[in-house]
Amino acid sequence: MTTVDTTLRTGRRRRESPLQGPSKLGAVLTVIVLGVFTLLPIYWLIVTSLTPDGDAFTFPPRFWPKHLTLHAFTTFFGNSQLTTYFVNSVVVTVAAAVIAIVVSSYCAYSLSKFRYRGRTAIAYFVLSTQLFPSTLLVIALYLLFNSYHLLNSYFAIILSYSTFTLPLCVFILKNYFDTIPDELIEAAKLDGASQLAIIHRIILPVAKPGLVAAGLFAVIRSWNDFIIALTLAGPKTMTLPPGLVLTYLTQDQSSWPGLMAASLIVSLPVIVLFLFFQRHLTSGITAGSIKG
Amino acid sequence: MSTASTKPRHLSDRQVGLILVAPAVLLLAGVALYPLVSSIIAGFYHQSLLSPDRTFTGLANLRAVLDSGFWHDLRNTLWFTLWATVVPVVLGMALALALNTRLPGRAALRAFFLLPWVLPGVVTSFIWLWIFNANYGVLNGLLRDLGVIHHNVDWLGSPGTAFMAIIVAKTWSSFPWIALMFLAGLQTIDKALYEAAEIDGAGRWTRFRKITLPRLRPVLITVVLLEGTWNVQHFETIYVLTNGGPAGSTTTLSIDVYRTAFSAFDLGKAGALGLLWMVLLTVLIVVYLRVSNRVGED
Repeated sequence: MTTVDTTLRTGRRRRESPLQGPSKLGAVLTVIVLGVFTLLPIYWLIVTSLTPDGDAFTFPPRFWPKHLTLHAFTTFFGNSQLTTYFVNSVVVTVAAAVIAIVVSSYCAYSLSKFRYRGRTAIAYFVLSTQLFPSTLLVIALYLLFNSYHLLNSYFAIILSYSTFTLPLCVFILKNYFDTIPDELIEAAKLDGASQLAIIHRIILPVAKPGLVAAGLFAVIRSWNDFIIALTLAGPKTMTLPPGLVLTYLTQDQSSWPGLMAASLIVSLPVIVLFLFFQRHLTSGITAGSIKG
Repeated sequence: MSTASTKPRHLSDRQVGLILVAPAVLLLAGVALYPLVSSIIAGFYHQSLLSPDRTFTGLANLRAVLDSGFWHDLRNTLWFTLWATVVPVVLGMALALALNTRLPGRAALRAFFLLPWVLPGVVTSFIWLWIFNANYGVLNGLLRDLGVIHHNVDWLGSPGTAFMAIIVAKTWSSFPWIALMFLAGLQTIDKALYEAAEIDGAGRWTRFRKITLPRLRPVLITVVLLEGTWNVQHFETIYVLTNGGPAGSTTTLSIDVYRTAFSAFDLGKAGALGLLWMVLLTVLIVVYLRVSNRVGED
C-alpha cells in the first residue's frame, strides 16, 4: 500500500505549496509573527537576568545590554532562604510524583482491565476531580491541616500534590493500558500468575513509556504549582514559585535581575525534562483527546 | 510468603478491581471532594478563618454576596474566560496550520514554540509583570522608540489595559499546547480530500472551512472545554499581575474567593461565592464529561 502511495505521489507534479492549510508564504509569516511573540519575552527574561541591578532601573531599557553579569545568579545561590525553597521544591515534587505514579498505576490498571459495577462512575469521579477549583479546595485544606497541626509540613503539601496530579496520571496510564492486549494477561493467568505478579512483572514493564509520560506530568505539575504551597506552606516548607513572590514582590526593594535570574533557575529543571522527554510529553498531551 | 501469593486468587475480579482503585478514590475523596464540599457548607455559616467557632446563618451569606460582589465577579470571570479561550485557540489554530505545511526544521520549531507552555505559571507572570512595568518596562520603551506612545502607559494600573495585559500573558503560555493539539488533529486528516476538493475548484479558504474545520471539531471541542474550565478557575496570572485590581477591574471569582478567605478571613462569604461558582463550573463539567465519556467507557 505505502509503496503504491509514494509512487502515485512522486508521479505527480511537485506543488509549490501544500493543499492543506495556508500557502507557504502565509505559513512562514505566521511562524515569524508568533515566533517573535514567543521569543521576545524569553529574550528579555534572559537579558534582564544578566543585567547589573542598577542598569535595570534606567529608562528607556537597553534592548541590547551593555554590561553583562552573573551577579543575580550568585546572589540567588548565596541566599539561604531561596536555596531552602529550591530544596523544598525538589523534595515535595519528587515525593508527590512517586506517590501519584504508584497510586495511579493500580487505579488505571483496574479501570482499564477489570469489569465491575461502578467502574464507569469511579472513572467519572476521578476525571471530574481534575476540574475542582483549587482556590476553593485550599480553603478547606487549610482548615483541615490546621486542625491536625499539619500546616507548614511537607506532609500536607506532598499529600495535596499527589492527589491533584492523580487524575491526569490515571488517564494517561489508562490510555496506555488500554493498548496492551488482554491476551497477555490471560496467558499469564493460565500460567498461574497472581494478580499482583501480573501487574508488577508483566503490565508495568510493558507500560514504561506511559509511566514516564505520567511521571513527567506529575513532576511538572507539582513543580509549577503556586496556590497550594502559597496557602499550606510556611517559611521552612515553602516551594520556589510562591517563595519568589514572597521574596521579590511583597518587599519594597525589588530586584528585577534577581527575580528574572530566579525565574530562570526555577524554569530550568522543567525545560531540561521537556527537552529530553519531548516525545513522551507530546504524546501524553494528545492521547485521549484525538480519538474521535 | 505463601499466603501472599495465593490469597489474591481467592478474591473475585470485582474485589481485586475495587482494591486497586481504592487508594486513588480515598485520596481524591479525602483531599479533593471533602474539602470542596466543606468549603461550600461553610457558606451557610458565619465563620472566620481565625476561629473554629461558627454559627448557622442560613442564606445570609448567599444574599450578601449576591447583593455585593458576585455579579461583578461573574462578569469579569466570564469575560476573562471568553478572551483567554478564544485568543489562544485562534493563535493555536494559526500556528498548527502553519507548522503543518512542509516547513524546514519543523521538529525544532515545535519544541521552541512549546517552551512558554512548559514554564511555571508564576515565571510567565513575572516576565510579563516586568515587560508591562510602568516605569522601566520594555514595552513602554519599545513603543516610545517606535513613536506609538509619547508617555509611559501604566499597563497594569489602568482598568482597560490591565485586563488586556492579563489576556496577553495567559495567551502566551497557553496557545502552544493548543497548537500541538490541533497539529495532532490535522495529521489524521486524509490528504486525498484536499486533492479532490481542489479538482472541484475549491479555494484555500473553502477547503479550510469545508474539510479542515469540520474534521478538527472533536479536537476543537476538547480544547475549548478544557481551556474554558481551566480559565473559569484561573488564579495565578491574575494574582501576580494585578491581584484583582485596579479598582476591582480584574477581580474574578477565584481571586475574590481567595481574598475573602485569606485576607478578609470570612469563610462564610467565601463559601457562598464558592457555591455560586460551583454552579457555573458544574455546567461546564457536565458538558465536559458528556463529551469525553469515551474516556470513561471506551
